[in-house]
Amino acid sequence: MTNGTGKGMAGRRDGVFEREPARRVFAQELKESRVHFKEGQDEKSPSYILLPTGARCNRVFFAGTLTEKKKQGEQNMFYRARVVDPTGTFFVMAGSYQPEAMQQVARLEPPCFVAVVGKPNVYQTPDGAVLISIRCESITQVDKDIRDQWVLDCAKATLDRIETSAGTPDGERARKEYNIDPGLFRKMVYEALAQLKI
Amino acid sequence: MDFSHTAERISQKITSHGHPVEKSGIEAKLRRLVDEFGVPPAEAERTVLNELAREFGLPVSQGGGSGGAVEQKSLGTLANGEWVTVECKVVALTASPSPAIAQTGIVADESAAVRFVVWSRANAPHLDEGKWYRFESAVVDEYRGMLNLKVHSGTTIREVSHEGSLRPKITPVAGLAPGVACVRGKVVQEWEATHDRILQSGMIADESGAVRFVLWKEEGLERLNPGRVYTIYYATVDDFNGRLSLTLNTATVVPEEGDIDVNTGSESFQGAFVHLAPGSGLVRRCPVEGCNRVLSRQNYCPVHEIQSRYHYDLRIKGWLDNGEETREILVSRAQTEGLVGMSLDQARELAENNPLGMDEVFLRFREALVGRYLLCRGRQIDNRLLVSTCEILHYQPEQLADLLNRAGGSL
Repeated sequence: MTNGTGKGMAGRRDGVFEREPARRVFAQELKESRVHFKEGQDEKSPSYILLPTGARCNRVFFAGTLTEKKKQGEQNMFYRARVVDPTGTFFVMAGSYQPEAMQQVARLEPPCFVAVVGKPNVYQTPDGAVLISIRCESITQVDKDIRDQWVLDCAKATLDRIETSAGTPDGERARKEYNIDPGLFRKMVYEALAQLKI
Repeated sequence: MDFSHTAERISQKITSHGHPVEKSGIEAKLRRLVDEFGVPPAEAERTVLNELAREFGLPVSQGGGSGGAVEQKSLGTLANGEWVTVECKVVALTASPSPAIAQTGIVADESAAVRFVVWSRANAPHLDEGKWYRFESAVVDEYRGMLNLKVHSGTTIREVSHEGSLRPKITPVAGLAPGVACVRGKVVQEWEATHDRILQSGMIADESGAVRFVLWKEEGLERLNPGRVYTIYYATVDDFNGRLSLTLNTATVVPEEGDIDVNTGSESFQGAFVHLAPGSGLVRRCPVEGCNRVLSRQNYCPVHEIQSRYHYDLRIKGWLDNGEETREILVSRAQTEGLVGMSLDQARELAENNPLGMDEVFLRFREALVGRYLLCRGRQIDNRLLVSTCEILHYQPEQLADLLNRAGGSL
């Protein structure tokens, strides 16, 4: 693959739109995240959460099983949905600011495999607990083949992060903020992979 | 106080324009200003110089006594906002776009080439293509990321002789940046003109990549032949909404014999399809020959206005994402039909028999595509991949064993 030139030449020039990549992250790692920050002072500058394996994350992509969906609110109706991967549960929300995602959720019948694109948000409950929910941009029904592809994709991305985090500024920051060895997430990756059939 | 040096300096400046002046007269004027009227020497020098310049109808310096001694630079080291002195060759002259501009074109030296503009008000001598000149106190400014050399009334220009010939440096297409550049490449695509003033537009490629080009209508200019290789000296590289484009009007275009390998579709990108952009699915295209633009809902073409005899097409616009990087992809009909499993006729039928019309096709596309892993190959321009082949990827069990080893290796 020779995708170096495009990034180097065009990507850095002003005015070129660069879409934030969707990180592949297992539910268990996402649940551990609580540090969030914003780059730049602009209202529109992107906000990130810092993953414990040492990468900034503005958007996520995952595939899993939709196990539950719940309609909430009267005036401002929104959907809460739970999507499960081999390591835990993603909490997905689709509200009136995401009308298309809301309609997509409305049509889904759990349980089914889904692929979700969305933005992670950090909430603090009154008793101090930190919750991460995903504001859904898109949720589509997929088959098991795609769910399994995603587990491999996410496993590889997580291992890549674990192995490179020591040398990056975000990696150093994660080590300081979370005070855990990213290597501990290897076990999670291994167990997730072990659930797939060879 | 001794005024002979200052007088000498002024005398030389005026004499260089072909007007011999008496040094003693200058000295007397300076002495009078400084000794009798208490004018600071630098200001006195400026006053006398301007007076003489006006007398002989020469360009008036407006440097405000900034010393006048601007260091000579090479074009490759210019920076926005600088006052510079440069020696360079006029390699191209183009038609002046406005009465306020006397001459415009491109100057080059061994290090680089830049566009230049001579204001009409500068009263500068007429520059000839192919000659070397020394520009003293010209100003460098920047427009859309491109540096310009501005010749104003304070700039002095003098023809100079130059040893040796200038060898233009050829830039690979992938390395282009806004400014002026020389390129050797092949015309790989020709597009129908989208504007009355465009003579020709299309795409030029070399081994490293491809870039669009445009040739504006101008007397004496000829179209390039598609499939032919050209060496293009001193084209302007514009940045338009983040996309580069070569304007060939300033350039000397020399046809070359033979052929070169071009980068036609070697880029590939693999990732999850994460977003289907508006404008995907079933679209209506403008029927005007060569236009083919997608019409809006009201059948409005941005160039040819309302068109009711449109034709239908299928396409995918969207984003692939591998978790680290993203690519916008554009997939044409043949590949789209295969990916979505819907032919153009089926899509039209679906749109005609459904209350949502063409939106229904978009929604079906979204359900069929978002979340899928794809491998796309095609030509990349900036961050956009024009897809020539595309396939849906599937679960590969052999990867599982590798990853299990990697994850378990150090448990």
